[in-house]
This record gives sequence, structure tokens and C-alpha cells, in this order.
Amino acid sequence: MAEEAIKLGGKKKSIFLDQVKELLPDGGNLNLCLTCGACSSGCPATGLENMDPRKYLRMAALGMDEELKSSLWTWMCTMCQRCVYVCPMKIDIPQLVFNVRASWPREDRPKGILGSCDMALRNDSGSAMGTPPEDFRFVVEDVLEEYQEAQPEFKDMEAPIDKQGAEFFLNQNSREPVTEPDEMVPLWKILNLVGANWTYGSKGWGGENYCLFLADNEAWEHLTRLTAKQADDLGCKTYLNTE
Amino acid sequence: MDPAKCTGCGECARHCPVAAVNEINQGFDDRRAAYIEYAQAVPLAYAIDPDACIGCGLCENLCIAKAVKYDDIERETTLKVGSVVLSAGSQGYDPSGLDYLGYGKYPNVITSQGFERILSAGGPYYGHVMRPLDREEPKSIAWLQCIGSRDTNRCGNGYCSSVCCMYAVKEAMIAKEHIHGDLDCAVFNMDMRTGGKDYEKYFLRGRDKAGIRFVKARVHTITEVHETGDLKLQYTDETGEMQEEIFSMVVLSVGLKISDSSVDLAKRLGVELNQYNFVATNPFAPVTTSRPGIYTCGVFQGPKDIPGSVTEASAAACLAGTDIAAARGNDITTVEVPAEIDVTEQEPRIGVFVCNCGINIGGIVDVPAVAEYAAALPYVVFTDQNLFTCSQDTQEQIKEKIVEHKLNRLVVASCSPKTHEQMFMETLEACGINRYLFEMANIRNQNSWIHSNNPEAATAKAKDLVRMSVARAARLKTLKEKIVPINKQGLVIGGGVAGMNAALRLGQQGFDIVLVEKEARLGGFARKLHHTIEGEDVQAYLEKLVQEVTANEKIKVLTEARIVGFEGFKGNFATDIEVGPEKKLQTVKHGIIIVATGAKEYTPKEFLYADSDRVITQVELGDRLEEKGAAGLDSVVMIQCVGSRNDEHVECSRICCQNAVKNALHIKTLNPDAHVYVLYRDIRTYGLLEEYYTKAREKGVIFIRFDSETPPAVKPSSDGDLLVTIKDHILRRDVEIRADLVTLSAGMVAEDTDELSSIMKLNRNPDGYFIEAHVKLRPVDMPGEGIFLCGSAHGPKLISEAISQAQAAASRATTFLSKSEIRLSAITAKVNTDNCVKCLTCVRMCPFGVPAFNTKEEVIEINEAICHGCGVCACVCPRQTIQLSFYEDDQIMCKIDALLAEGM
Repeated sequence: MAEEAIKLGGKKKSIFLDQVKELLPDGGNLNLCLTCGACSSGCPATGLENMDPRKYLRMAALGMDEELKSSLWTWMCTMCQRCVYVCPMKIDIPQLVFNVRASWPREDRPKGILGSCDMALRNDSGSAMGTPPEDFRFVVEDVLEEYQEAQPEFKDMEAPIDKQGAEFFLNQNSREPVTEPDEMVPLWKILNLVGANWTYGSKGWGGENYCLFLADNEAWEHLTRLTAKQADDLGCKTYLNTE
Repeated sequence: MDPAKCTGCGECARHCPVAAVNEINQGFDDRRAAYIEYAQAVPLAYAIDPDACIGCGLCENLCIAKAVKYDDIERETTLKVGSVVLSAGSQGYDPSGLDYLGYGKYPNVITSQGFERILSAGGPYYGHVMRPLDREEPKSIAWLQCIGSRDTNRCGNGYCSSVCCMYAVKEAMIAKEHIHGDLDCAVFNMDMRTGGKDYEKYFLRGRDKAGIRFVKARVHTITEVHETGDLKLQYTDETGEMQEEIFSMVVLSVGLKISDSSVDLAKRLGVELNQYNFVATNPFAPVTTSRPGIYTCGVFQGPKDIPGSVTEASAAACLAGTDIAAARGNDITTVEVPAEIDVTEQEPRIGVFVCNCGINIGGIVDVPAVAEYAAALPYVVFTDQNLFTCSQDTQEQIKEKIVEHKLNRLVVASCSPKTHEQMFMETLEACGINRYLFEMANIRNQNSWIHSNNPEAATAKAKDLVRMSVARAARLKTLKEKIVPINKQGLVIGGGVAGMNAALRLGQQGFDIVLVEKEARLGGFARKLHHTIEGEDVQAYLEKLVQEVTANEKIKVLTEARIVGFEGFKGNFATDIEVGPEKKLQTVKHGIIIVATGAKEYTPKEFLYADSDRVITQVELGDRLEEKGAAGLDSVVMIQCVGSRNDEHVECSRICCQNAVKNALHIKTLNPDAHVYVLYRDIRTYGLLEEYYTKAREKGVIFIRFDSETPPAVKPSSDGDLLVTIKDHILRRDVEIRADLVTLSAGMVAEDTDELSSIMKLNRNPDGYFIEAHVKLRPVDMPGEGIFLCGSAHGPKLISEAISQAQAAASRATTFLSKSEIRLSAITAKVNTDNCVKCLTCVRMCPFGVPAFNTKEEVIEINEAICHGCGVCACVCPRQTIQLSFYEDDQIMCKIDALLAEGM
């Protein structure tokens, strides 16, 4: 397909990149690209949709806002920040991606991420699976009992929920209690063996935050506050994020 | 150890029981606790590493010279001085903190400093290219550029180190030479910054002849292939494709960094540093620090290469010397040369010294066999072989042997007389032997370096060369040098920034100067410039400079002046000059010449320059911005390398990238809404100029790269604007830019000096720039003695660089003018008038116009004071009645006879 030439020059018009720069400390250094390609060389999403971080930023810099906003690559970035780590100019490409995501109408955003965010908003668990707090409590207690019986060396093992004054507040990937409950146990064992004073929360125990990846600012702030408040209410000193 | 007593024999190191890491070889091997940094160290004195020494006392017992001083301590000394030069240099950036590169973790990832040692004959592997892990010869090497440079994220060094691009090309070229099979070399870079004089040709040679790959990419992470120790590099190439390559070795091209100790020193001295700890200087006073009387040079002043550092060293010497010029001539120690021993009646007694040159010669040629062979040649009474015949301690040994064996001829079989003849001649002189009783056989440049793949043949050839030299040495004659006085006036050609600075610095030191300018007023090309990239006012500076020059009573300015005649020799030149509109002829007598004829902006033939008034050059844009500002400019496109880096002008013009950045920033300051696009091939904002490139991007200037094969195109649009088309180097898509102004970064071209160079016999390169005597060691000297070079006459450069070069040329000229007399070479032509038929062939052929027909005596005369000793007359004389002393016919024929005597 013969692509149309990119049209530049003429009178100054506002471009998306400039709007994002306003939001970020140091403008995210978004103007500073040397086009060296270090970002693309280390990006797990390079090549997908014939795109990579360098091209993505270039489109933004050249003011190709329509193409930038319609690229599906926006949703393929994992926000891992490998690009920022080595970028000689410390350009915050993930923040550019995030803000492009936020520019999409909410209903047009990818169904999987959108659904997971919406699930997390259904109750106080903050779980992408929509699991209510009482179901989480049941599974944890059930699995714990099973292991205490089957493995006598762990008969005193604990997996407390809402233990007031615990040192550590632990969150939990939501999928495990639902589909692979045994997967929770190795970490309990470790915590038990080292004698850590820890607890889950009945509220805000869901560790993943799909609303963040959806770039739904209000929702991810809500989820973050939910879990942080639970940790505070329990008087925990350290928040252990397992995700 | 006491350096005055140590003879450098090395017995202490040979017997020292303690091993320590050898820092000079970047830790690739060990040294002893009693050690010397490297073989050519000056003074050649050993030292004890107190951190490693166990105090066993073995070396103290062994040392015959009694040089070991265990109780030696640091002492403070007070020196009273009139001025200070800060030249503390820099260190290589330590990449240990960049975890993604694996330096310190993977043995085959090394720094460029380490690789320099690996390439060195005195290095850990004796010059054999091996990788540290398994001492295997690498099959492929990758260089990663800008490690510790141009990176404000991980190392905070926002500057370009200026030297790494060139050294990476050099290291790759040498690695390919040292490894005789196929070696794949790839240099991963953002921009190749080969902007120095003739550097572009070197880069192209590396790319096109040596086959070095230059990859425009920064590698994200290096990982090791466990089984082999090879290294895996993943990168996106220029088309955006992810590539993976395996290399045997990776060299990190580390940048230059000022050491903490230098920062402390500057603080103690009260000298201001900039944000990167380079000494803060002004572009119009490039080697002057914030504290009066303290000057700086080299990398401490800012990142630069050797020619730039050596130039600045002379510049700093000039200013430091000017401050104390009144004291010149005091406290002088003269070298006492013993009275010459008359050996004319003696039978030749020849000593032959064969050099290993580390492994440069010794690694190929069987040096002991050559020395043994030489011992049996006629008149040879002594032979020896040395690791480095040129080292200081070897000179002392040679002197001892001359006296001990009553040698009256010396033959050194080593490298080139061009670089070392003078030194060995001085060694002879120091023993009372005439300096012309010396002969050199070049068994390195003309032998071991060429025949490195055939050691047997190289050894045989070395014997041939030595036999020839011994034959000639036996026929050499004692020659007498003439001593002539020096005229203390100087002539500076060119009244631009460089010429005026040179004249001013010499005038300030009390030398009379004649400054010749072809135009009606002083100023040169700088008249066309407004501001430096730092924002300094060029016209204000120029006005002040012109005023200082014209007010200096030692300087005589000749404007509208043209050089029409020239004769004489170093220290005693005479130049005919036509001055003023009436072309009044005058002759100036002078002892030195400084050439500062400058350069000008290229007039483009490209991109509608001739057809559209909307296509202008950077200099014209500078004028426009100064006069009309940037109002009404919505979109400006700048095109780099117009008239540079092409088939016609191969070289880079060095200054255009910063010029474009300067003007782009100026537009953005005046009109932040204006679009500015810079279409470039490599952005070459070397050194601290990189800061302005960063600033330009920050302000929204868009940079688009193109190749020489796919240049942009400019055409008028139907509504009177210009349309520029180019392919975006990242998106790989066509871009069409609507512009109301296209600015061409027209390169520099040398001023027309055809007439001048032919009258004064000054050599220029094919681009019309004058040629220095030695690129690195004598960057402002010209090959003819007493003639110096500065400013853009040498090659395109910034005002700051022209000023330091001018100060350097003044410094070099001062060295010459401070002497009252000089010795002339005894190598001159002599006519035996008995056989001369006065055919005048010599008169016609001499390139310097020296032979003359004396009409009174009716003989041909050759004035030995002005004879250059080139030998042309001796060659062309049909009667063979002209002899060039030191190269007389039989002194040359005997070499051929000696060569043929053994059969070829």
C-alpha cells in the first residue's frame, strides 16, 4: 500500500504530544528523542502492529495524532519501562502510551482489560474476577485447613485475614483463589517459616489493578485507595505488593 | 625510589616476590610491587607500590645504584611562579554502573581503554588481539558508542566526548590489521562525529576499504552466551526490524570524565568549573580561566582530541608566557656540547644498534640474528639490540658504548629518520662525534610492518637494509653547520580573528609584527557573524580586537595588501608586498611567518539557491534574524552538508551542525511557534556543543536524518511557499514539509590562496587548506621551519578554536624569535665549477630558486643558507657536478652495491 506523505510545516497547531508534556514532570522529556532506538531494541512489544516505542514517539513528535490514537499498539505496551531504563534522555514513553489510552472513549478500549476493571469495581475486593470478600475468606480458610491437616509440619501455619496490627499487609492475585487455590500456599509457607506477622485484607485484597492499564484514572485511584485504606485501618506498617 | 639514581635496569621488578594488578593494562595482567608503568616512561625510574609492597627488602639489597628508599615520604615543596597552566586531563568513564551492559560481569565486555592496551605492543597480550576470557582471537567485535557520553539519564554526562567516534574507527582498523583473517567489526552509533581535518576520509576508508560496519542503533542490553562466552546483542536496525547478532567481544567506547582529584585541585586554586566539571572559559578566551594568571588546556578545558589538546597547550603557554615575558632569558640552562673530536683521519669504527621496538620489529624480525649478522660487516666494531632504542636509558647506553669502543660512526636499525634521526644525532654530538656520522635503517615501517606475514623474508630484508646502511655509514663525512642570526620581526598573513590574535600575542611579548590583510579593513569572515552559539557578541569582540591590534605600537597593519614576492629562509625572510589602492611596493624583512588566510562560506549550487530568494545560507539566515527577527517565519527547513561530505568536497565542514542548531535556537527564541526542521546526515555537535543540540530538541526543533544516496528535494509550491520532501528515517515514510524559508548549511571553503602558496612555496591539501608539519605533534607548525599556521586556513573551525590556534601559533613563533641565532642544516648542494658547463638546468629546476649564475665570475652559485637540501639539482645535473652533502653520489651508490653484493 502506497502511504500518503506525512505533511509537515505550515502554521503551528497544537499537537497531542504538547498536551501530554503539560501533564508530566519535565514534560516526560518527550521532545528529547535522539532516535537512537535503545527503547525499541529492548521492548517486548517491538514489531507488533509494525510499531515500536521509537516509531510511536516519532508519530507523536511529528504531530500524527490520528494515527497515534488509532494504533492498536497503544494497548500492546506492557508499561514495563525497559525503554525508560536505558533511554539516554530518560523519555517517559509509557506515560505517553498511558495518555493515549486515556484519550480513547472508555467503551472502545479493549474488552479484556475493560471487563477486568469493571469486575474490580463491583465490590470491595478489588478483584478482577469479581470475587466478593466472603468468597475469598472461605477459600483461604478452606485451603489453609486442608494443608494444616495434610502436612503436619505446617499444622500451625496461618493465613490471617484482617488481623489487626500485623506488620505486613499482603495482597493477592485474584485469579489464584478462584482457579488455582494451591498456588497461594507456597508464599504462606515462606511467611510462616520466617515467622512474619502478616495479614490479607477482606477489602482491597485483589492485587492486580486493571483499571490502571485501562488508563481509567478515577477507577484505579479508587482501587488503590481501597486497598491502602484497608492496610492503614489494620495498622499494618508494610504493604507487600505481590503483583 | 630515587629517580635520580635509578638506572631503569629493572632488577628490582624481576626479583620482587609480590604481584599486583597492573592498572596501566586495565587489570588484564599483573605487575610487581616494584614496577614501572610502561617501557617508554619518562623519567625511566622504577617505583614501589606501597599498597602492595610487603617490605621484604629484596630490591634494596639487589639495587646496585642504591636507588631504593624505603623510608621515602611525600614532601611538600613551594614553587614561586608567575603563571600556572592547568592541564590535569581526564579519565575514562567507568561503565560498571550500567548494569545492562554487563561490564565487570562478562569478561569479554571491555572498555575502549582496555582495548587500546590489548592492541598495544606493551600491553597484556603483546599486541595480539585476544579476548580476556579464553585468550582466543575474536571473530567479531562490536563497539558501542556514547557510553558515558550524551546520556543525561544514566550517567548525567550531557556532553559529547568528541574523541570516541574516531578512536572506535581507529581501533577497528588496527584490530583488522592485527588479525590476519576475517574480523567482523561493527560500530553501533547514533551519529558518527568525524568532523576534524581529514577525519571524514579516514572514516570512509574504514567503512569502504576496511569494511567496518557502522550501525545506527543503540543496543539495549548485552547478554552472554554461557557456553562460548560470546555476547548477544539485540537491536532495532534503521528499518525498525529487530536484529540479533552474536559477537566474540564487545568494546564499550567510554567517554571522557573529569576526575574528582581535578575538581578538588580546581577548588583549591579558586578556578571556576562548569556543570560537567570542565574549566569554565569564554569562547573568546578559550584557555583563560576565571582566575587571572591561571590558564588551562586539553580535556580539562573541554572534551577534545590530541591535535586540539596540543594546540591548546601551546596557546596556554603563550598566555602564561606573555604574563612573564619581561623575565624571558633569565635562569637559562644551556646544554653543554663537548668539543668535537676530529675523526676525519680515523678508519671507520661503526656501532650498530638494532631495535625491537617492543614487538613491532622483534615480533616479526629475528633481531638477535640481525645484530649478529651486522657484527661481521666491514668496519663494524660493536653491535647491540634494544627493546626500544629510542628510550632515554638506551641513549645513555649508546653513549657509553661510543666512548668504550671508540665508535666514530653510528647505525641505528629501527624506524623512520623522519621522527628519530635528530635524537640519535644529538646522542652522537653529546660524545663529541659529528652529528652527520649517523645512518638509519628503517626495518619497521619499510619492513616488519609490511612483511608481518613472512618473518623469514622480513629478517633477510632487515639484514639487507642494515648491510646497506653500514656501507653508507663508512662513507659519511664530517659536516659543518652554519650559524645565522634571526630577524626578530614577524609577518602575519591574514587579518581575521586568527591573524589578529596571533599578531596581538606576539606584539604583547615585544616582537615587531607586520600584519597583512588583503581587504580594506580587518576582521575577515567574522565580519559576517553575529553571535556565537553561547550567545557572545562577535561584532563587539571584533571591534575590541581591531582596536587592540591597531593600538599596539609593535604591530604594523597593511591593508589592501598583496604578497607579490618572497625569498629567504627561516629566520631571514624577505617578502615583497603591494599595499593600498596605489599598489605601493614595499619589502618586509622578517624571521617568521604566520599563515592565517582563513576560509569562507561555500556558495551553493544545490537546492534552488540560485533561483529562489527563499533559499538562503546559514550566514544569510543569521543576517536576516538579526535584521528582521523571526516574525513571519512559520516553517523553516535547514539542510545540512550542502557542499560538504560529497564527491566534490569529501570532508566535513565541522561548524555547520552547530551553526544550524544556533540559528534554530535563535528562531525558537524569537518565535516559539515557528516550526524548524533540520535535515541532517550526522549531527556533529561535539564536546559541550551537544548541550545546544539537546536544547534545540527540547524547544521542539525536529531533526530528520537522510543518507547521501537519498537527499531531500526542494521545489516551489503553487502558492509561493517551498515544498521539501524527504523520507523520515524512523517511520520510513515520505514527508512533505511546507516551508517559507529553506536554509542551506553551506560548508566552508578555503580562501583562494593559489597565488600566495605558489609565491611562498607553502603546501596545501587538495581542499586548499594548508598542511601542518604533523597532525598531532606539530599542529600549528608548517613543514618549513619558522612558518606557522592558524585559523580556518588550516581547516574549518569555530572562533574559539581559531583563537586558541592563533595563540598557539604565536607561542611557537615566540620560541623561534626568542633565539638570537640558528644552526642551518649542513645538508646542502655544492657545485664543482670545474666540470660545470653552465647549462642552467639546476637554475630552472630548483623549486626554491636557489642556484644562480654569477655573471661576474661566470659560475653557478648555490647559496647554502637558502638551499633546502632537497637534492633536485644534484639529480638533474647532466654533468653530475653537483653533490648534495650527506647524500653524495658514492654515499648512495655504495648502498646499491651493498644490496646487490649478496644477491637479491
